[in-house]
Amino acid sequence: MGKITNSSSSSIDSSNHPSISSATSSLPQPKRDLSTDLRLGLSISTSQPDDSSSNSREQPSDWPSLKPLLRCTIAEKGNNRQHPTLFVKVYMEGIPIGRKLDLFAHNNYDSLVRTLSQMFRTTILCPDIDEVLSGNDHVLTYEDKEGDWMMVGDVPWEMFLTTVKRLKITRANQC
Amino acid sequence: MTYFPEEVLEHVFDFLSSHRDRNAVSQVCKSWFRVERWSRHRVFIGNCYAISPERVIARFPRVRALTLKGKPHFADFSLVPHDWGGFVYPWIVAMAKSYPDLEELRLKRMVVSDESLELLSRSFPNFQSLVLVSCEGFSTDGLASIAANCRVLRELDLQENEVEDRRGHWLGCFPDSCTSLVSLNFACLKGEVNLGALERLVARCPNLRSLRLNRAVPLEALHKILTRAPQLVDIGIGSYVHESNSEAYVKLCNAVLNCKSVQSLSGFLEVAPCCLPAFYPICLNLTSLNLSYAPGIQGNELINLIRHCRKLQRLWILDYIGDKGLEVVASTCKELQELRVFPYDPYGGGNATVTEEGLVAISMGCPKLHSLLYFCRQMTNAALINVAKNCPNFTRFRLCILDPTKPDHVTLQPLDEGFGAIVQSCKGLRRLSLSGLLTDQVFLYIGMYAERLEMLSIAFAGESDKGMLYVLNGCKNLRKLEIRDSPFGDIALLTNVGKYETMRSLWMSSCDVTLGGCKALAKKMPRLNVEIINEKDQMMENSHDDGEKVEKMFVYRTLCGPRRDAPDFVWTL
Repeated sequence: MGKITNSSSSSIDSSNHPSISSATSSLPQPKRDLSTDLRLGLSISTSQPDDSSSNSREQPSDWPSLKPLLRCTIAEKGNNRQHPTLFVKVYMEGIPIGRKLDLFAHNNYDSLVRTLSQMFRTTILCPDIDEVLSGNDHVLTYEDKEGDWMMVGDVPWEMFLTTVKRLKITRANQC
Repeated sequence: MTYFPEEVLEHVFDFLSSHRDRNAVSQVCKSWFRVERWSRHRVFIGNCYAISPERVIARFPRVRALTLKGKPHFADFSLVPHDWGGFVYPWIVAMAKSYPDLEELRLKRMVVSDESLELLSRSFPNFQSLVLVSCEGFSTDGLASIAANCRVLRELDLQENEVEDRRGHWLGCFPDSCTSLVSLNFACLKGEVNLGALERLVARCPNLRSLRLNRAVPLEALHKILTRAPQLVDIGIGSYVHESNSEAYVKLCNAVLNCKSVQSLSGFLEVAPCCLPAFYPICLNLTSLNLSYAPGIQGNELINLIRHCRKLQRLWILDYIGDKGLEVVASTCKELQELRVFPYDPYGGGNATVTEEGLVAISMGCPKLHSLLYFCRQMTNAALINVAKNCPNFTRFRLCILDPTKPDHVTLQPLDEGFGAIVQSCKGLRRLSLSGLLTDQVFLYIGMYAERLEMLSIAFAGESDKGMLYVLNGCKNLRKLEIRDSPFGDIALLTNVGKYETMRSLWMSSCDVTLGGCKALAKKMPRLNVEIINEKDQMMENSHDDGEKVEKMFVYRTLCGPRRDAPDFVWTL
């Protein structure tokens, strides 16, 4: 009966976990000595007390109560190596240098439009919702697999992902 | 007195499928005891250390199916060291000599070596079904022996095991003559599989109903497999990544259309969500959907998928579905019986998760709901009272609030009243897990109302020994009690010691019981094993005084006395 090397990165021997013996402690994670931090003038993370993402110690593997396989799967979500991507070029009218954007990182048109608005510091309007199109507003268009330029938003998101080749932000009064 | 031939008795007993019924029947009189023991073919042993294999064989000489459970439930959360015990090898050795007709073996939380699997595969010519749940200790070499030697194997079901993957060709070890497979689940394996061998295996097993693939089986292979096995009822998808307009995807869509019997879907271990629409046609008939391993399916794709699943009875998802998503579930899945919502980001801040509102929505929309596992960040008494009113049929209610002592976030009161409402309303409740800020009051309610309760999980709850005593004195049907990080000490442990012989086991870790208390328990109750688990310091017997608190204690009834295979860090008092 050989010992199995555990390839799961999040499973740690429970003897590494500082045991919380007092029942009055309200958190499963080890408490930081904040008084020492204060004296040394270290900045204290203002995140929630149970946010251990800034803690260099490994997450305790016995809370919350999750089975190791599930815990692993969830831990891997931050690992983007295997996550599929769909990067497309995005140009804004009048600006020669374009950007690139991963469409798989978004779930819907709202998310896409919000991100692009931030990226290009402009208001991008949805044609069916926002009626008034003035010269200073922009709309989002895309080139599809057939080479045609189309308005973004007409087809279901999933279908859009299958035909989009590149994006362009154009002035509203041209549509 | 009427003479009742034993053949008739045996025939009647054949209709008794539940173990409890059979146990009851065997106690009526000597002749019924005798007939029952010779005719019992299925045995369930909830704690492998409660009895020895030899005694089982002596009592039941003609067993064909055995279920064995090893480690306590908290082992799932890394609270029990790997080497604690639960070895299946001695059982297989004993059965190899005495049970030539063994057909089925089902193991949970046991240590299974390759040697055990090899011996198993060679000892039972009629062996048909191997189910391993949360086990460890074996590699794909062990699976290869099962594949190669079990001539009439119908079921190989590996659920959430830790398997050392030696990248062998275990799938190729199924001989060409093997055509009997009905169920094959290897989703928990991490390594490559021989895709050609898999495809050929599927092609020659016309009775295959359930197939759960692992991550290494890509989309391109999936359509071939589905084409060969359109009769599948349960599919676990491995990898599901590629571009949606490629040829493989189109072929997959067609293959899926042909699978008219699928009722259960799981997996999607790697996902390009834009390809999900291929599965919409089978969503209509789905009764079971498990997306808890699919963090790649989010937001709209998830909701769109669920909207197609009107007949769903079981749903396992991740909590980023959010309350809005749960409302969609509530309005779509009217047949829902079991819901599990797992945390996507347990250590992070408050990204989109579910709250008490989602739970209330589900309780209002799904009247048939009886089994729940719900991870969330906040809860209120009002919501729990509401849920209790809407769903009085809960048999399993497990709530896990990620901050373990969080009160009702609106009133800042403990959640005693909420859980109290649950146990009072749900008269059939058999399993309960508590969380959040809880005083002794909740245990008073549990002791008073939870008459059918069999398993109770407690963490960071209670104020004094009274809490635990309410439960021990009140819950008549309690079988398993597991407690961690709660202020119960020796008085709670020792006041009602007789209770433990009516239960399968008691687990207490990071509580206030002392070594002296445990010794007293062991002394009073010789038919209990009182195990102290102390990994840090193995010189237990010399250097500790009785006043010291015990880190982990596991108590269980047994007919065999202290076990002989305990590792150094386990001390049986």
